[in-house]
Order: sequence, then structure tokens, then C-alpha cells
Amino acid sequence: MSDPRERIRVSARLREGALGLLPILGLVGIWQAVVSLGLAPPALLPAPGTVLARCLAQFANPEFLGHAGATLSRLAVGFLAALVLGVGIGILAAASPGVLAVVRPLVRVLAPVPKVALYPAFILTLGFADASKIALVVADAVFPILLATLQGAAMVEPKLVWAARAAGTSPRAALLRVVLPATLPSILTGARIGLVVSCIVVFLAEMITSTDGLGYLLVRAARSFQTVDMFVPLIAISGLGLLLNGALGLARGRLLRGFPEEG
Amino acid sequence: MRRLPAGLPPLLALAGLLAAWEVASRFLALDGLPSVPATLAALPDLVADPDFARNLLASLRRMATGFCLALALALPAGLAMGRSRTVAALLNPLTMMVYPVPKAALMPLIMLWLGVGDLAKTLVIVLGVSLPVLYHAYQGARAVEEKMLWSAAAMGLSGPARAARVVLPAALPEILVGCRTGIVLALITMATSEMIARQSGIGAVLFNALDLAQYETVYAIILVIGALGVGLDVLFEGARARLVGWAGPPPALAPASA
Repeated sequence: MSDPRERIRVSARLREGALGLLPILGLVGIWQAVVSLGLAPPALLPAPGTVLARCLAQFANPEFLGHAGATLSRLAVGFLAALVLGVGIGILAAASPGVLAVVRPLVRVLAPVPKVALYPAFILTLGFADASKIALVVADAVFPILLATLQGAAMVEPKLVWAARAAGTSPRAALLRVVLPATLPSILTGARIGLVVSCIVVFLAEMITSTDGLGYLLVRAARSFQTVDMFVPLIAISGLGLLLNGALGLARGRLLRGFPEEG
Repeated sequence: MRRLPAGLPPLLALAGLLAAWEVASRFLALDGLPSVPATLAALPDLVADPDFARNLLASLRRMATGFCLALALALPAGLAMGRSRTVAALLNPLTMMVYPVPKAALMPLIMLWLGVGDLAKTLVIVLGVSLPVLYHAYQGARAVEEKMLWSAAAMGLSGPARAARVVLPAALPEILVGCRTGIVLALITMATSEMIARQSGIGAVLFNALDLAQYETVYAIILVIGALGVGLDVLFEGARARLVGWAGPPPALAPASA
């Protein structure tokens, strides 16, 4: 670590990090200026300090944490289901041309359909409770993961599979121990997109019909014109997204030790 | 694999999906899941309704406006991020922070400031489309080969000319990937913003039908929106093939998020 080039790299990173804070601080500064100069009434645009104070208060509030927990559990169930489905179908399709011939046209038709429009159908068939929201998360998150898996599996070096087969590995074991690991970088990229999508969709579903969750809190605050309380769930979902993204990044670092970082 | 005519497998897939729907509807016998013929029967009435056409056009107009504005804003910014480390360092953290925020969820807040009209809904679409376009333009411009830029500079092209005649075409395949995501996103944000501010547009019509328990109409509208998504995707794919056919098939279908 005492390599001077390494130190230069670290200081360059610090400088770039500081540069990145500028627009964020600038936006907050403009926000504060608009409020301080009285350009917007506080009922429409509360001061950044007020929003921050409310955030800190709410993050310690058990009721708020309950709502956040409801959102998180829907998100986790939906995302994990989408991950299992997407990777499973993708690997199966990689193994069998027959499956691929069925999956590819289905994806071609279903992927560009805006899934939110299916939400009423999910409500009507699965009810207003958790199931319809989770179904929507799965429907939205599964396609990026499936497509990434398909693409990654198609690029696995065939010689690796031949070598494993020649060494006496059964076709199924070759799939699990050669194709799946070789596809992992691509799967993780797809999972990252799927995760952001899940965050967004679960929030929207809760906004449209719900009695709990962060999306519901936003709608409740909007109905009673509590502008400050409208900011809190938005900041919370954004923070949740960043946290989960960070967790996925850590998992990626562990799973793909030595593999180049993604852009 | 045997070569089937290009359009056939998706049509077969569609037929398979409709068949699965029909089976589910017979098997489950739910009020909320009408049969395929009943839904298709509701379609002509819906499409012929001038009110529905008006709402659909209003939606499409907002979507097109929002998409073009987003392109005009995000494309230059993304290209600049790709060619300059400073600009990238400046804008990257902000984009990272804003990405997981559901743009359509900003609707209630933006409605407070701008009212429930076109302005608020178009702004939400601009926000939703900007990020993927920005991101892919950034990635595309970053991957431009330095040697091409050096040659262009050596042959006397000025900075702006290099940006327009080397960076932009070289980044175009990647930019179009972003545009494709952007189209799906524009559709999603459009529908969602109209569900939240139910004043006009196809999303409003959809959820009003749901509230009135007109189930056949609900499913017919879902079919229309789905067809819109697929139709735009096919059109876009055609345009892409013409513009950047030299770059080979697209690197998988672009991801969608709201």
C-alpha cells in the first residue's frame, strides 16, 4: 500500500470524490437560497434543514420503521424470486436450444410491455394485499436478470464446457459448475439493474394501492399536504436503494475476486 | 436451429400467452379475469371511443415531448462525462443518488409546485428518460478508441467537430441502447404519472375503469398499452438496424425501470 503510485491514485480518487460532492451541495444550496429568499412558501418547499431534521426523527420512529420494513420485505421477496426465476430460466435456456426457442420470443413480446399497466390485472387476480405487489416486482425485475443471464451464458467459452465434459463431468454438473460461474459477472450486472427496478416498482405499487409501506406514507402525506413528510419516504427509498446496491457490490467483490470492476 | 420467418416466433409466443390466459380464466373462474374473447370484444368499442382516442393522444404527446427534451439534455451531458474525467467525477455521484428514486413518485410533489397539468407530467417523463440516456451516452463515449480521436485531431478536426463526427457516431450504438430503455421508461412514467394525477391520459382511463369494475375494459386497455410498448420497440429496432446496422445486433434488450 505504500507504493507511491498507489498513494497518487488514492489522492486522485479523493479529489474526484470531492468534485462529485459539488453539484449535490450546489443543489442543496440553491434549495436553501430559494427558501431563504422567500421565493417559495415553506408549505410548498420546506427548508433542507427541516427535511433533514424530520428524516432523522422519522428514522428513529418505530411506526416509520414498520412501514420501511413492509417495503423492504416486499422488495426482498420480489427481487429474490425474480433472481431465481431469471437465472434459472436463463441457464436452462443456455443448456437446451428447445427452451431457448420458447423463451426468446416470449421475452421479445413481454419485455417491452410496461409492467405497471399489468398491475390492475395483478390486483384483480391476486388481490390488494402483498401478492399483487410482489408479482409486479417480479414481472419488472425478472427481465433484466433473464436477459443478462442469456447474454452471459451465450458468451461462455465452449472449450471450458468441452474440457469439463471430457474430464467426466455430467452435463448437469457442467451446467452448475462451469456455465453458471462463468455467467456470474453478467448475472450480477443484471441483478444490479433488477434491484434498482425493484426499489422503484415496489414504491409505485404502494403508492397506487396500499395501507402500509413507504409509498403509502408518501401518498398519505400528499393527501394532507404535509410537504415535509413527502420528502422523507422519497429520501428513505433512495437510501434503501443505495444501501442494497452497496451490499450487492460487496457480494460481487467476494464472488468475483480478481475479476475486473464493472464500469 | 432451423430458420423461421422473423416475425413468426413472437406471434406464436403471443398466441401461447393468450391461450394461457384463456385457460387460466376458465380454470380459475374469477370475476377479475375475463375470458379472452370477452376482452377482445371490448376492444373495438374502446378504440372507437373518441374520448379514449383523445386520452391516448394526450399521453403520446406528453411522452414524445418528454423523450425529446430528455434526449436534448442528457445526450450532451453524457458525452461530456465520457470524454472528460472531471465532468464524470462531477456528475457521477449525483446520478448514482438519483437513480433509485422512483421518478413517478415525485409526481405528488411536482403537482404541488406545477399543478396537475401537462407540465408536471412531462417533467416527470423527462426525469425518468434522462438517466438511462445519460448513463449509456457516458459509457459509449468513454469506450471511443483514443486512436480515432488522435487521427481526427492530427487531420485538423477541431474539438467540437471531433465530438460531432467521431465521438457521437462511435458512441451511437450504446446511445441507442439507452434510448431503448428510455422509451420503455417513458411509457412507464407516462402511465404511472397519469394514475397518480388522474386527469387525462391512458393511465387515468385504465385505473378509472378498474375503480368502476369494468374488468373487460381494464384488460382491453392493458392490451392497448402492451401493444404500444411492443410496437414502439419494433419501430425502434427497425430504426436502430438502419442507423447502426454496422455495429451488429444490440447487446441484449435494455433494462427497464420506472
